[in-house]
Formats: sequence, C-alpha cells, structure tokens
Amino acid sequence: MRFLLNTGRTIAQGSFVERKNSPSYRMAAATICMNPVDMLEILVEEGEHVRVSSDAGVVVMKVIPDQGLPRGRVFVSLGPYANHIVSAETHGTGMPDFKLTPVSIEPTKDPVMPVGSLMGLCGGLPYED
Amino acid sequence: MKIEDVVCSFCGCLCDDLVVEVDGKKVVNVENGCTLANEKFMGDHRLETPIRRTGNGWEKISYEEAIAETAAILLDADRPLLYGWSGTFGEAQSVGVHLAEILGAVIDNTSTVCHGPSILAIQEVGHPGCTLGQVRNRADVVVYWGANPIDAHPRHMSRYTTYCDGFFLKDAFKDRKVIVVDVRETESSNVADEFVRVNPGGDYAVLSALRAIVRGKRDIIPPNVEGVSREQLFRVADICIAAKFGAIFFGLGLTMSPGKNKNIRNAIELTQELSRHTKFTISPMRGHWNVYGSNEVFTWITGYPYAVDFARGIAFYNPGETTSVDILRRGECDACLVVASDPGAHFPRACAEHLARIPTVQIDPHVNVTTHLARIQIPVGVAGIDAEGTAYRMDGVPLRTRRLYKGDYPDDQEVLRKIYEIVREAKG
Repeated sequence: MRFLLNTGRTIAQGSFVERKNSPSYRMAAATICMNPVDMLEILVEEGEHVRVSSDAGVVVMKVIPDQGLPRGRVFVSLGPYANHIVSAETHGTGMPDFKLTPVSIEPTKDPVMPVGSLMGLCGGLPYED
Repeated sequence: MKIEDVVCSFCGCLCDDLVVEVDGKKVVNVENGCTLANEKFMGDHRLETPIRRTGNGWEKISYEEAIAETAAILLDADRPLLYGWSGTFGEAQSVGVHLAEILGAVIDNTSTVCHGPSILAIQEVGHPGCTLGQVRNRADVVVYWGANPIDAHPRHMSRYTTYCDGFFLKDAFKDRKVIVVDVRETESSNVADEFVRVNPGGDYAVLSALRAIVRGKRDIIPPNVEGVSREQLFRVADICIAAKFGAIFFGLGLTMSPGKNKNIRNAIELTQELSRHTKFTISPMRGHWNVYGSNEVFTWITGYPYAVDFARGIAFYNPGETTSVDILRRGECDACLVVASDPGAHFPRACAEHLARIPTVQIDPHVNVTTHLARIQIPVGVAGIDAEGTAYRMDGVPLRTRRLYKGDYPDDQEVLRKIYEIVREAKG
C-alpha cells in the first residue's frame, strides 16, 4: 500500500540525541506513526514491524497508531531510519524532500536494526560505547 | 553550588533563566528547564577519549595523535568539506571558517538541511522580523506555520507567545489568538484557536490564497484550496487583519516541503501584505541552539551564511551546488570534518555512504550516528556546561553561554586552533 512519508522533530527523539546508541533513541527514531484505519488495511497491530520502501531504499520500523494523521500519510521522527529511505536529490536547493517521500509499507517479521548496524549497511563500522 | 540565569544550549530559544545545581564536575539538578534541557544538562554520556577506527575495530588514542592525524587528512585532501558548526559557539565557528579558507575547502553549516531555504528567500525579499521580546509583549495574534513548538522548542509558547504575560496585553492568555497551520495534528495544533490543515505540498497555494484575500480579492478564491475551505481562509485572514500586532513563526514544514525557498518567499510577502493593514512580523524557528550564530559568523568572515566554497581562493556561494548534501551525493569531497552536528543521522543515506567511503573526522562530545561512519572522533566539552562562548538566539540576539564547572575536556575552539596551526605551518 502506498503512503506519503513526512519526517520531523519529536520530544522523544530530542530527549535521546546524546544517546544515539541507546534502545530509547532507536525506539524514538525507528517508530512509524500511521492512521489506525490504514493499520487495519495492511493488517498490522501496534508494536509490530513494517518494511518501508521508497525509490531510495528499504528500512524496517515499528508501527504505532496516530489518529492525528489522515489516511495515506505516515510520520517518522527525523533520524537515520527515516533518512535511510529519503532521496538525496535537492532539486538545486541544497534541501532534500524530507517532508514528502512516497513509500510503500508491508508487514514484516524482520527486526529493527540497531543504529550502528544500520550505518554498517552504509559502509560504516559500529562503535559500541 | 546553584548557578542562576544559565543559558540552555539545546534549541534556538536559548532560554536564559535556568537554575542549575553543580556538584564538582557533575550537574545534579536543573530548574525551569524543559524535557530537552533536563536531558542535556543531566545527561552523562560523553565519549571518554579520542577514538580511531582500525580495520575491524576501534582504539583509544591521545588528543595529540588525533589532532595531528586530522590535520594530515585535511592537508592530504583535494576537496575537503567542513560541515556542522551549529552546536558550537561563535569563537570556534570562526576558527573553522579560517581553517576552510587556508585549506581551500567547502564550509557549510546545518542550515543547509534546516532554514537554508529561508535564507534564500530572505536574500530575495528581506526579513520583516523582530525580537522575541517584541512578540511576547505586543503580539495578540501568533501563527505557527509548519512548526510544532511543543515538541521542537518546548518553552517557546510559555516564554514568548501563547502562555506568557505581555506588557501591552491586559489578559495575554485569553487575548492572544493562536493559529497553527500544518499537514498533521500535533500537540501544538491541539492548543490552537484555529488549526488549518493543509494538504502535503499545498502551503504555497494556501499562502497565495491568503495574500489574495488580504489584497481584497475574496471573489477569486475557490471553495477549497489544498484541503482548506474558503470559509476558514476568510476567517484566518480576518483574524490576522484585525490583529494589533501579529507574529508568524515558520518551521521546517515550509522549508522542506515542495516549493521550499519559494514557500518562505510567499510567507514573507503575505507578512508584507498584512503590514499594509496592521503590524505583522515573520521569523524562522531555528533548531540548533547556535545555528543562527553559524550564519552570523560565516557572513561576517566570508559574506555568505552557509555553503561557502573556498576552492577558487575566494569565497563562492551557490546553494544547490556548494551545499553539503549535493557535494556528498555527487561523491565530490575526499575528506570531511564534522563539528558539532550529526550528518549520519540527518542526511539521506546516499550521503552517509559517502561519509563512510572517505576519511571522516568528527569533533563532538557524544557518540552519535556519524561516529559509526568516522575514522576518528575527538570528544570536547559541551558549551553551556563545561565550555563557554557566544551563541545567537533564533531572533538574532547574542547571548553568552557560561562554563558551569571546569571539566577534563578541551573545547571545540582549542582543538580547532591546534588543527589550524598545523595546517597553517604546512601551508607556509
């Protein structure tokens, strides 16, 4: 099913910015908010995992309901999970389309990766503190 | 020891009324702070020593070794990128710009993925802004457009707008009207007198419709503009025109959405239209605590606020070409120095992949997402806790952050100066 992905600041994400290796940060940055009716449509319950795909990539996140979102729209706090699927195209402005990425979402049993492992996929080496 | 009037170095509000209790080299209590401030001051999660990536692992190294290797990486590069700067103080930012100049590097700050488009718009049509004190004491209408202050700037409403007293407002809490324009419901939209829900990417059209209404062209407005009814548009315009003093604050919901700098230009031009009827101002909700300072410092020294390229021996500025995301996406830079920011977390994946391919050095107090992509990380003191220097609030007011105790870490300026000295000596 197709959705429009929006990203932005949340108080939980902001609270853990100095502990980005922590499970709390992972929880804040890898949670996708979705209209409850859309969750029914794709057959996922709160806390289950979904595979979110765009033209730029694929990432696994945990889903929670958000009645404040219209149907067809999803929201993820800014961070490495959302940016794993945001295109680097800036249309000559310097600014990527962080607020409007078309994505498709489907249920999955795959785990949400730790931040270090996600960066490992980008060619980095996880540092455990 | 209790220290009063402490400046918080988290967001662009730079709240300067915190009371912080320090015991030796540890903050033990914070009063007046929001959730973000409490986490910042009470957090104790520093990287202990400089680290270096060694093939399949990491090793601790000395500051001298880390600084010498960083200088060598930068000297060896043909097109180094110096990125970040918004989470450190002005004096350190200044050293960074001078370092970029002698290296012939590109230097860019976090505005590039924040309010860079706002700067482009301001360069086109100006900035009818004011200080937050003016808003607090005079504004009877406040508009938050594409911004969610309760999450991103938690005390903005209580210190400057919705919930605070105002010198020229008798009953500020009741008298002030708050309008929130957003694509989704947020904590902030829940406390608004008027919530305008716009379709994603529809801000430009809604701003244009409001400009037309304020100009007296109500008859040309269609029944619905990007999800907003004509009746609500008329109502919002009437609230704004009837204001004695209106203040628009806009966030990344405008700068990152389709239209980008043109959205901001339209919002500024709406402000100008409204000022034909009453007094209106507009201001960006700046994110990092000293991102405004990075624009100030860059501009003093180079003439440009971000995305400055010294490759030609002079300062050259062309956002879209000399901006960090574009340089990384094109795989153009061959080394990167990251200072006081986290591009690994906040740039698209393609940029993170290039940061991992090239020698990336990070100067930052904490382990963050960029750490996993870097070759070297150098921990430093935190401005406003165990380091100090000048910062600029989101309305351009400079405030000095203070050192609350003498810690064990060098500050950004000290580390950067040492790198600068080595580079200067090598360059002759």
